[in-house]
Amino acid sequence: MARFTIRRLIELVLVFFGVTFAIYAAVFALPGDPISSLGGDQPLSPAVVERIRNLYHLNDPLWSQYLRYLGHLLTGDLGVDFRGRSVAERLASRWPVTIRLALTAWVIQVVIGVGLGLVAGLRKNTWIDRGVLILTILIASVPIFVMAVTAQLVFGVKLSLLPIAGVSDGWPTSYLLPATVLAIYGLAAVARLTRGSVVDTMSSDFVRALWAKGLSRRRVIGVHVLRNSAIPVLTYLAIDLGALLGGAVVTEGIFNLPGVGQLLFESIRVHEGPTVVGIATALIMIFLLTSLVVDLLNSLLDPRIRHD
Amino acid sequence: MKRAAAVLLAATVALAGCSGGGGSGSSDGATKSISYAVSDPVTLNPGRQTIAFAQVKELFSSLTFVKSDGSLTYLNAESVKSTDAVHWTVKLRPGWTFHNGEKVTAESYVKAWSTVAYGPNAWENSGQLVNIAGYDALNPAKGKPTTTQLSGLKVVDDLTFTVTLKSPDGQFPVQLSQAQSGFFPLPEAAYKDFDAFGKQPIGNGPFQMVGGYTENEPMTVKRYDAYQGPKPTVDEIVFKPYTDMTTAYTDVQAGNTDILFVPAARMAQVKKDFGDRAYVFQGLGMNYLGLPLWDKRYQDIRVRQAISMAIDRQAVSNVIYGGIWEPATALTPPGEPGTPKDLCGELCTFNPAKAKQLLAEAGGFSGTMEIRYPGGSGLDDLYNAYANQLRQNLGIKDVTATPTTDFPEFQKLRNDKKLSGPYFSRWGALYASQQNTLRSFYTKAGGCVNCIPYYTPQVEQLLAKADAQVDPQKAIAGYVDVQKAILKDFPAPPMFFEKYTYATSDRIAKLAEGAGSLELENTTLADN
Repeated sequence: MARFTIRRLIELVLVFFGVTFAIYAAVFALPGDPISSLGGDQPLSPAVVERIRNLYHLNDPLWSQYLRYLGHLLTGDLGVDFRGRSVAERLASRWPVTIRLALTAWVIQVVIGVGLGLVAGLRKNTWIDRGVLILTILIASVPIFVMAVTAQLVFGVKLSLLPIAGVSDGWPTSYLLPATVLAIYGLAAVARLTRGSVVDTMSSDFVRALWAKGLSRRRVIGVHVLRNSAIPVLTYLAIDLGALLGGAVVTEGIFNLPGVGQLLFESIRVHEGPTVVGIATALIMIFLLTSLVVDLLNSLLDPRIRHD
Repeated sequence: MKRAAAVLLAATVALAGCSGGGGSGSSDGATKSISYAVSDPVTLNPGRQTIAFAQVKELFSSLTFVKSDGSLTYLNAESVKSTDAVHWTVKLRPGWTFHNGEKVTAESYVKAWSTVAYGPNAWENSGQLVNIAGYDALNPAKGKPTTTQLSGLKVVDDLTFTVTLKSPDGQFPVQLSQAQSGFFPLPEAAYKDFDAFGKQPIGNGPFQMVGGYTENEPMTVKRYDAYQGPKPTVDEIVFKPYTDMTTAYTDVQAGNTDILFVPAARMAQVKKDFGDRAYVFQGLGMNYLGLPLWDKRYQDIRVRQAISMAIDRQAVSNVIYGGIWEPATALTPPGEPGTPKDLCGELCTFNPAKAKQLLAEAGGFSGTMEIRYPGGSGLDDLYNAYANQLRQNLGIKDVTATPTTDFPEFQKLRNDKKLSGPYFSRWGALYASQQNTLRSFYTKAGGCVNCIPYYTPQVEQLLAKADAQVDPQKAIAGYVDVQKAILKDFPAPPMFFEKYTYATSDRIAKLAEGAGSLELENTTLADN
């Protein structure tokens, strides 16, 4: 177990270097000069452009820029963006928003998704089961953009129930609408996965043996079926949390939430190399760490899974 | 199950714990407060801002002020005078102070302008001062400048300073107006720490900061009681940042924000959604369809004229902008004083038969006509419409409209002359003078990165002649001559006079129109 963990951590370091370089090179390769478009329509004078380019070493070759960046990164310095703002500070101000949004959406997914899946799995082939199937497929097939805008119009404009933009009302009010919209897309998968897993477990030999032993329904389902069905669901949920933390670009944009996804989108649009690499690296680390935790959790839940 | 519930509960508590600070910015009884949707300003330093016009205009007052009818008035200045358009004397009004009580003097301006123009600072708005004598010494091609002062500026007394220009420019007083923030004064306090000043500027304008500005958080300004200029009608303005203006649009519909500049994507529906609460103001934006004059297929003037006459501008505006944008009939927008009506004549009038005939006379068009425009800016509908019109009305089979990935890529293609077809070309003027639009589009020094590269010695000469006029009427006549000369060559079709559209919540009774913007400070609130 310890050896497995160490090996995975070493892999993580390698991925770290590979990813930072790949992304740095990708941003470097984007056509066009980020500095001369700093002013939008209004042109900056060529002298100003040249001076800012020199300030950020943009005239150096790729390898020299990357090594410089890496050097700063290893001392914990994420650098500054082209407007002179600290990337670390900008990220720090945005993580709380993204974390709140992701966790809220995730909790909604867990409660509703697992709940629906359990009900459907335990009532296999009844109208409830089919109803859940149709419902989840229906809502998951609406594009997130349409769902978000419709939710804004219905709950924000027509009913005036919830705020539709920004975080000024704090948690949970400001996060309810975006988190629900975001959660809906993982919901179908969680529900289907839970259902399938429960159905499989229910029809397995050991469960039949438990019934034969005369255990109460509560004990069979509550302890044995749930625990054994949990493994695939848990794996999915953990990876999903990683994805939620980094993948809410559209939702954060439409609901005007100043989170990490929005910053990433904006930064790519204006070719902010340092910011893009900083965010992407953080996101990939989160993803790798969550999958490591999943692997470890799995072996705890099911002793048959070993990592040596 | 109990354990799971406990985890959920813990998560809830943790989430609630890290959400600090409730809502703010709503009005409380007596305070007349309005909120305005903006994009994040980045910095509020007037010498550096490029997207915080609305905010700095309330925090600072310019020397001169152009009203919505295009007339020039004086604000912080009592007069800006010259007899030869080269040597200018600026007299300030007495009794003006910055928000910290410091007097606004000639030195407040002279020192600020030298700082903005000083090369090593690399301030974004330094280009606005390029015509002041001594600018080049502060921006040497190589190495550090040997001086920190603009040699063209001299303090005469507390309230008077003189400006010497490199070349005669009768439009100088207009250049000192409200959107050219490179010309704003700075208080002594600013020089201690410009980063801090950019977050919490101390200006000479009608409003002062309440606290500082934090990225992505609403920012509040309140009325400055010792302000010597015209008294604003509102007491407080809250600037609310949005990354997506269509979200802001929905938020104004919901009544959470009071005023917004309507994004292009919502223009077709704004009148239906907002009725009387939608306002259409004269803009200073001029929209062209750029043409690749370096491509030999576009070198025959008849091809360029045919393209212009093959596009039904009114129909395009009706479908995409709800009829709000006005088909262009001159080379400068009507918000710039003296812009002649219908100067472009039949060349800007939809006439498919004549267009086809002109194209045939020029020998037709071979190959694909590839229209390019910056992607991700909501321009897709407009350029697809152009493509359809050209395909149908000119009978060119292959007309495509393709976005670039983003603005920097478009700029690069345009600068390298790698565009092979019509392209995005627009300019939003910062001051209401034909000079601004003509200079940007038709002179090399204008530096507009998406304008048509059409530069001729004749245009340069005519422009210089018009610039040299101190008398506004003579200057206007000069700029009209420039337009006529350019139209003879017809380098690229002018397409639209942009209109600036605003929408408000029902808390607002009336918006005040400004020159190329709105006068936020003079908003009238509804009685309720």
